[in-house]
Amino acid sequence: MEMPAREARPEDGAGRAAPGREDLSSRIKEQKIVVDELSNLKKNRKVYRQQQNSNIFFLADRTELLSESKNILDELKKEYQEIENSEKTKTKK
Amino acid sequence: MEAPPDPALLAAASAPAPAPLRAPEVARLRQEQEKVVTGCRERIQHWQQVEDDYSALQERLGTLPDKLSYSVMVPFGPFAFMPGKLVHTNEVTVLLGDNWFAKCSAKQAVGLVEHRKGHVRKTIDDLKKVMTNFESRVEFTEDLQKMSDAAGDIVDIREEIKSDFEFKAKHRIAHKPHSKPKTSNSFEADFANVESKDVLADRELWARLEELERQEELLGELESQPPTVIANGEDTASSEEEKEDASTRVNGRVNGHVNGTHPAAEATAPSCRPADDTVAELLHGPSCAVNGSRCPLSDEDEDGDDDDALGPEASSVPTIYFSHTVEPKRVRINTGKNTTLKFSEKKEEAKRKRRNSCGGHPAPELPTIRTPADIYRVFVDLVNGAYVPRKSILKSRSRENSVCSDTSEGSAECEERRGLLRSVSCEDALGSDAGESILEEEQEQEPLPEALSPAPGTLEAFSGTVIEKELSPCLAPHPATVHPVLPTIPERREVPSEGSEVTKRVSKFKAARLQQRT
Repeated sequence: MEMPAREARPEDGAGRAAPGREDLSSRIKEQKIVVDELSNLKKNRKVYRQQQNSNIFFLADRTELLSESKNILDELKKEYQEIENSEKTKTKK
Repeated sequence: MEAPPDPALLAAASAPAPAPLRAPEVARLRQEQEKVVTGCRERIQHWQQVEDDYSALQERLGTLPDKLSYSVMVPFGPFAFMPGKLVHTNEVTVLLGDNWFAKCSAKQAVGLVEHRKGHVRKTIDDLKKVMTNFESRVEFTEDLQKMSDAAGDIVDIREEIKSDFEFKAKHRIAHKPHSKPKTSNSFEADFANVESKDVLADRELWARLEELERQEELLGELESQPPTVIANGEDTASSEEEKEDASTRVNGRVNGHVNGTHPAAEATAPSCRPADDTVAELLHGPSCAVNGSRCPLSDEDEDGDDDDALGPEASSVPTIYFSHTVEPKRVRINTGKNTTLKFSEKKEEAKRKRRNSCGGHPAPELPTIRTPADIYRVFVDLVNGAYVPRKSILKSRSRENSVCSDTSEGSAECEERRGLLRSVSCEDALGSDAGESILEEEQEQEPLPEALSPAPGTLEAFSGTVIEKELSPCLAPHPATVHPVLPTIPERREVPSEGSEVTKRVSKFKAARLQQRT
């Protein structure tokens, strides 16, 4: 068996009621790291995804996971941009 | 939902005397309200997290049965993992709470999760409502503060509360006057209860106590009353003691405790008498009553006897009557000195004594219970048609229903007595025992050791022979087949023969031993 790699996926969708700017920025950083790591894996490696709020990891498809993480990162960036834009408009006003 | 302490508001709400609005109190009010708001926010956050978790779980459960097995990293404690497989993907065990689990399919589990999410959503909604409510309160307090800072005319309405009418604690209305909760043996506790009430109630109580005392003296029941019947046999020494006590009680109020707790009893009895009376009066309905008061079931027990008239005149002896247990009227219990005394027999004896001495005064037939051991003697269980003394809860039950039939009786005391019995039986060749009835082999319970004739000489705890259970069937426990060799002991008939309904039984060991000897 080749050495599998394990990755703990950060919990998504936590407390989106009022995404503070700092909170968003930290999440963006995390997602960037995830994407980088996933893209930097060898082809034979296994990637596991953690089930939310528990200690069990399910095997997941690496390529799928990679694309998923990239999407999440893009979304987060958009949100961040929106908030920044709205703040800028507020400050301008 | 929390409500913050609003002292200023409360003061503001009541009465007439105006006072200037105090800024620090208003500030404090605002602080408290803000605390509530932040608390609510945190809780909402937590519950939303929970909801998210449930959603993720739902998602996972939805796709779980798609594959026969999943390769997973199985957690090994908090830090280690091991590659493994998740199988039986459709079988889910759900915790229902209180360590109850339900095994169900993935779909059913999804339904359960949905149900729980509903609850979570409801909680979140409630918390949100509270939060908005308190947010508005915070706004109002802020406005109030601004207004008071701006214009100095705003005053605080205050009411002076006179401390005379102020009650320290809520007073609950008793359904019946002077009713008290269940009391234990300790009479000091009763006094404590009494003291905790109002001064007025205390005075009434003492007045009542005096009244009752006067009543007692008038009736003079207690002076002439012989001892209350002791339901079951006691140890050898004690049974004699009790007979002595019976006489002494006639003269004075000496409480003879069976197991040698004389000084304690004497000390407590007179001092506790007033408490007894009060307690006797005050107890209602509870299953345990002390002395004077009568529980309904204990009344029923004495139905047969017309002499019952315990009524308000309580004996000086503190006695506990239990209403939840049925006292068998005739019980054979080994007293340890190789005589079995029946409950009814003793009762009748006591009755006769009383009648002789007092000239027909009514007497209670309730057994005097002064120690926990008495309880176990008085109240016996009816098992398979046999009267078996109850085993103390403190005694181990490991030897119950064991091969050794003698152990099934349980208490150490009984075992000692049995030891004596056995040795005696060896010497007396209990043919009559065998003749009466030998317990059926199916019954695992030890039959009550029956009365024996007075033992001569030495008593051994162990006769020296151990008989296996398998031998006993050969004894053929049949009353008709009396061992022809063994002579009957006519003396035995005299002792407990009054209206005996319980057939005499002999233990298997004894029976085997008898057979061996013959």
